[in-house]
Amino acid sequence: MRTLRNTLRVPVARGALAVLLLVALLAVFGGQLAPQDPLAQDTAHVLQGPSGAHLLGTDYLGRDVLSRLLSGTGLSVAGALEAVGAALVLGIVPGLASLWLGRVFEWTALRAVDALMALPFTLFAIAAVGVLGNGLHQAMLALGVLLAPLFFRVTRAAALGLRQVPYVEAAELMGASRSWVLRRHIWSKVLPTVAVTTAQALATSLLTVTSLTFLGLGVQPPAPTWGGMLASDLGFLAQQPWAPVLPGVLIMLTVGALHLLADALRDGGAADAVRPVRAAATAPVREEKADAAVAA
Amino acid sequence: MTSALARRSFLGLGLGAGAAVALTACGSSSGAGASGTGTGTLKWGWELPTSWDPVFSSAGWDVHDLSLVYAALTKLDANGNPVPALASHWSYNATGTEITFTLRSGLTFSDGSALDATAVKKSLDRGRTDPKSLVAAQLAHVSQVTAGSPTTVVLKLTQADYQIPSLLAGKTGMIVSPKAFEANAAGLATQPVGAGPFTLSSYTQNAKAVLRRNPGYWDAANIKLTGFEVYPLPDASTVVASLQSGQYNVAQIPGSQVAAAKAAGLEVQVIPSMVVAVLDVNSGKAPLTDPDVALALQYAIDRQALLKTAQFGYGTVSNQPFPPGYVGHDTASDSLYPYDPAKAKALLAKAGHAGGLDLTLTTTAAEGVPEQIQAQLKAVGINAKISVIPAAQATQVAYVQHSQQVFVDQFAGRDSAAQAFQVLFGPQGLMNPGRSTPPELLAAVAKVSATPLDSPHYAEVLQAATALAVRTMPNVFLYTVPRILARHKSVSQLPADVVVQRFEGVTVS
Repeated sequence: MRTLRNTLRVPVARGALAVLLLVALLAVFGGQLAPQDPLAQDTAHVLQGPSGAHLLGTDYLGRDVLSRLLSGTGLSVAGALEAVGAALVLGIVPGLASLWLGRVFEWTALRAVDALMALPFTLFAIAAVGVLGNGLHQAMLALGVLLAPLFFRVTRAAALGLRQVPYVEAAELMGASRSWVLRRHIWSKVLPTVAVTTAQALATSLLTVTSLTFLGLGVQPPAPTWGGMLASDLGFLAQQPWAPVLPGVLIMLTVGALHLLADALRDGGAADAVRPVRAAATAPVREEKADAAVAA
Repeated sequence: MTSALARRSFLGLGLGAGAAVALTACGSSSGAGASGTGTGTLKWGWELPTSWDPVFSSAGWDVHDLSLVYAALTKLDANGNPVPALASHWSYNATGTEITFTLRSGLTFSDGSALDATAVKKSLDRGRTDPKSLVAAQLAHVSQVTAGSPTTVVLKLTQADYQIPSLLAGKTGMIVSPKAFEANAAGLATQPVGAGPFTLSSYTQNAKAVLRRNPGYWDAANIKLTGFEVYPLPDASTVVASLQSGQYNVAQIPGSQVAAAKAAGLEVQVIPSMVVAVLDVNSGKAPLTDPDVALALQYAIDRQALLKTAQFGYGTVSNQPFPPGYVGHDTASDSLYPYDPAKAKALLAKAGHAGGLDLTLTTTAAEGVPEQIQAQLKAVGINAKISVIPAAQATQVAYVQHSQQVFVDQFAGRDSAAQAFQVLFGPQGLMNPGRSTPPELLAAVAKVSATPLDSPHYAEVLQAATALAVRTMPNVFLYTVPRILARHKSVSQLPADVVVQRFEGVTVS
């Protein structure tokens, strides 16, 4: 909460959050807000410029561009959320478990993560679509698997120091259960760092979703998506050179806002959440070494 | 912290903006390159072939590329009629069951070997008998090829077939050097050896084919170009810029780019072609096994709307395989299937699908025509799901497995009318996924084959077969697709060939 409060004091963060809130509203209510049916074709009025009837004009099949942009937000954002959600589960749980479940699990998990980090996002998602079938869920789950190492590494790095601080060791010695320790002492310290990573991962996922839909993968026409609209608009640059700007600006604003929010979260104290712990963590180690030296 | 945040904020925004711009640019190419003018080299943004071996080429479009490196016994004139090529003349026997071609003398392949009657026999026999040949079905009427003398080739036929001179103008009749296929037949896929106007000097799959003039070509005097380069189909968004920059000096462009090309100072030729957009309807798969359901598709499609959006009006709506002006075009069938959603609904109701039915439209790209057809079908109660398959698998899925219900396709036309019928409607036809043909249509096509091309009844017989085909077969023809070629002003006018694009007389200044 302290991190969140600090973050909200930064004007840029408030701006970024406002943009993201707007995008979230469009993602949820975009379909209802759309003035027209985003799939309704009107071949008598294709590639029209902005007018009273169509505020942002019509596309190559006479569909209302504004309605498609609004309706397309949901699919684009949902894909990114799905990938990051999968990554959170697949990254954080093994990340924490690697510190508590013994060396065999730790070694195995680390090697698996190393292997996954070598794979490129978009290419892996395309391969997943090729093998599992052309669908957004398949692509996003594949992307989630690839993003998971990021969360694994971040969670593990943050928790590594906390694992050895005296109050955690004391709690364990006093019989506190592992889950209680994780909830009470570890998770609250790790959360701000995870929040920063989540914001960055969402931006990466959104760009990957957009790239895939640009290539016609994941979500299939006629369903509107930002990437798909960008791709189809490029075929009609001669008629509507400005058209790709509309989905492009939406992508740019959302991704930019996510990056700004991540920056602000970090500067708002996410890094400090684990910093004092690290300083404290070094002391007992030194003491242990000193004890060992005396004993020797 | 504020200044550090401001710097990082800028970076954050920059990342977002950069990524969006990069995405926007994904469809673009640099377009940089030296202008092709003054080199005598024609750089054609068209399409690279599935194989440079005419026996194994699997796409109709390939004939344009293969015609650059191979010559055939005959070729087609601008209107699609067979005229002499490697053969200076030919004659049929009285019953039409034997045709004798007389070759020009002194012909050679690009590898220096002699192109005589024996070479022609070996080449045609390879196409007829190779177990994996994709042209064998079209040579089914040829029972024997014999070399009478070094310049005389005799084809014995199983039945009267006057379509042979037309048929042999295309891939089926392209003469491949026996020396090359006897030494390394597999190598022909990337290293063709023929006797065409050009020879292939280098080839990078999916990237570029570089050809140079073949001085040994029988009609070399009419080949003015010193070099030729073929590239994959340019992207619609960049084709005009690529032509301006000199990356290509001739390119196929979509109808949407015609105005832009003209505005950019390029010459645009809209050449009527044999290509027609078509839905391959699988009458062997339910619910299309019911003729009323298949017929409902004919009335449910608004062809005019498709033509307008897909091609910006270039071409004409069509419900038959041959374009207007071609001898096989049956004018009486032009108004056979008007856009009539009410009739489509009635037919569906009659077939027991008043509550709607599900169909799958298979395509290689969902955007555009498939989306539009999906919406048109929805209007009559057909819920069409679009299934996208990779272009690389399309041949296998659509033409070999025939596993799709409806495939959104284009028919590239064929050199002979009977061959077109065989491909579209024949029991083994690539574009007849239902694999069945009414006996009366087979009889009508046999009659076409048995009618000499110069017979006064030929047009009537061919048009009767067309009329029968469009009434008995489920293929839904949509609109004709003219060949729209934009060219740099340095390139002279291109011949307006209806079937195969040729380049005799073309110059690049």
